Amino acid sequence: MNIHRFIIIVIVVFCVGSCKHKEGEYHSLKDKIDAETKNYQDPEISSESYIGDVKTIEIKEGDHRFLIPERKSQITSFACTECHTQPLGKMKRIEGEKRAHWELQMQHADEKAMNCTSCHMGENMDNLNSLTGSIIDFNQSYLLCAQCHNSQFQDWKGGAHGKNIGGWAKPRAAMTCVSCHNPHQPQIASKWPVQFNTEIEKERK
Amino acid sequence: MAGAIQYRNRKRKKIAINKIPMEEKKKWFQLDLGLSKKQTVGGSCGCGKSSGGCNSHSLSPSKEEYRISAEEFDTAVENELTETTPPEPRKDGFQQVFEVKMDRRTAFRKLTASLLVGAGAVQTSCSVVTGEETKEKAQIDWEEQFKGNYKLMTPEEKKATVDRLVRSYQLRKKKNIKMSSTDAAKDVLFGYAFNISKCQGYMNCVSACVEENNQDRNSQMQYIRIHEMKDGQGFKFNEADDNYYHEVPAEGHFYMGTQCFHCDNPPCVNVCPVEATWREEDGLVVIDYDWCIGCRYCMAACPYDGRRFNWSKPEVPEEEVNKNQHYLGNRMRKKGVMEKCTFCVQRSRAGKDPACVEACPTGARIFGNLLDPDSTIRWVLENKQVFRLKEDLGTEPKFWYFMD
Repeated sequence: MNIHRFIIIVIVVFCVGSCKHKEGEYHSLKDKIDAETKNYQDPEISSESYIGDVKTIEIKEGDHRFLIPERKSQITSFACTECHTQPLGKMKRIEGEKRAHWELQMQHADEKAMNCTSCHMGENMDNLNSLTGSIIDFNQSYLLCAQCHNSQFQDWKGGAHGKNIGGWAKPRAAMTCVSCHNPHQPQIASKWPVQFNTEIEKERK
Repeated sequence: MAGAIQYRNRKRKKIAINKIPMEEKKKWFQLDLGLSKKQTVGGSCGCGKSSGGCNSHSLSPSKEEYRISAEEFDTAVENELTETTPPEPRKDGFQQVFEVKMDRRTAFRKLTASLLVGAGAVQTSCSVVTGEETKEKAQIDWEEQFKGNYKLMTPEEKKATVDRLVRSYQLRKKKNIKMSSTDAAKDVLFGYAFNISKCQGYMNCVSACVEENNQDRNSQMQYIRIHEMKDGQGFKFNEADDNYYHEVPAEGHFYMGTQCFHCDNPPCVNVCPVEATWREEDGLVVIDYDWCIGCRYCMAACPYDGRRFNWSKPEVPEEEVNKNQHYLGNRMRKKGVMEKCTFCVQRSRAGKDPACVEACPTGARIFGNLLDPDSTIRWVLENKQVFRLKEDLGTEPKFWYFMD
């Protein structure tokens, strides 16, 4: 009997002693994140005030619901139909006269693949059109980009592509495609680094 | 106290006099820094020579002095072991300073330092001539000298020290700063992701970080390093350049940034002998600049080169000082203390992104709450192929890399 009791005591002591984990300690960071997510409650920190003057609209794409900047009020001479009174096909360029939108340089895909009407709706210039000709609002221009750039679109929805407006806290507000990319020249140009550390350079000599 | 110092001075003088004959024989000037003191004491017999010859010198005085018998050693060890007392109630403020075992020399040194501060305080507070401001400054200096470790402070004490620092800045620079002592929020664990295929090496993050965090402009301290690496060769830090200046992105190169990774199992915290650095509840690894003694153990322990040391007094032009500060973040540091990235604690705890995230023109930097299942950082971790640097060390950095 004594031996049994001894063995039980040893087992109990071993079990208690070997479990060194304090409360809140986990084997790995992943365990910690998984465990602490279960009882997650919103910390009630808001980034709303940091969005500032940016006028936003809420969009819902799949499971993602977030704010993006409103676009139409930012376009200098919207509505386009104030000049484009006729459909594009009927507007003829007069020889020798300066072109409207002369400053636009198209560097987006191949000329054979894309021209103005690939994105702009020729019949109603206040809207964009999809490849199949359905209307896309200027405020939702990301839908136009998403037709070809699907992987970027998926990343953007999830938050792996693009930038936040405001901060990490809720509400989530993200820049839209055209906040960074000029739709007519979407490639971002190379440039010089904004700074150079002369002290490190000295140390290395 | 004063008597003891006088006695020591007299003793030193005597030693110096004893040494004169020997030094006169030398053909060169020797600076006596007191390093030879021990041996001279051992060899003082009045014959004026430090080597043997008058028979009153033992053969190896210095060795003799440090020898310790086995029994003595055992009792010393036993004393040391038995003296570990059961957990005491939390020490704070004065207790932290005074209830520490130390040898006589350290005690004297500390007392002298404190007395000097005290004497200054007493002098200014008793003087009729000095103005109210000087007195207040002295009072603040006195209280700052004896404050405890920030980690152990109660919310009231935290507020008091922050108020003192704000007032001190006001008195000295005639400018107002805003300093916060916001604690970690519940259900927040900060994490960071870095997109290697997006970073183009523009370094906007670096300059935004310097400006946000009031880093020393003289030594051009930078928390972030952007490494330019050759395509197709993986991470080769020894061949990478983190101080390039040419048009970027350079042909055949990719860019990746390093900074403090805010490890969940931070090796730098374990080695700190004074617990001046620790991991907060929201995962930020922070430093109490007023508790740091500048030993740089943490710098040596960090496997990621995440920590920086102030070799000189940090200088920031007054008009460039970021006045939105946090005690654990970008408040002004002093010479001889460690500092590093805090994920901009003054911003992140208020719901903002760190300055580097906000400044990045390519969107390569993603920041958020790891515990929020709807956060963008969680989406990245769950949907992209992510990895961390030196994962096998078990440091559990909260900084992931990924590619498109």
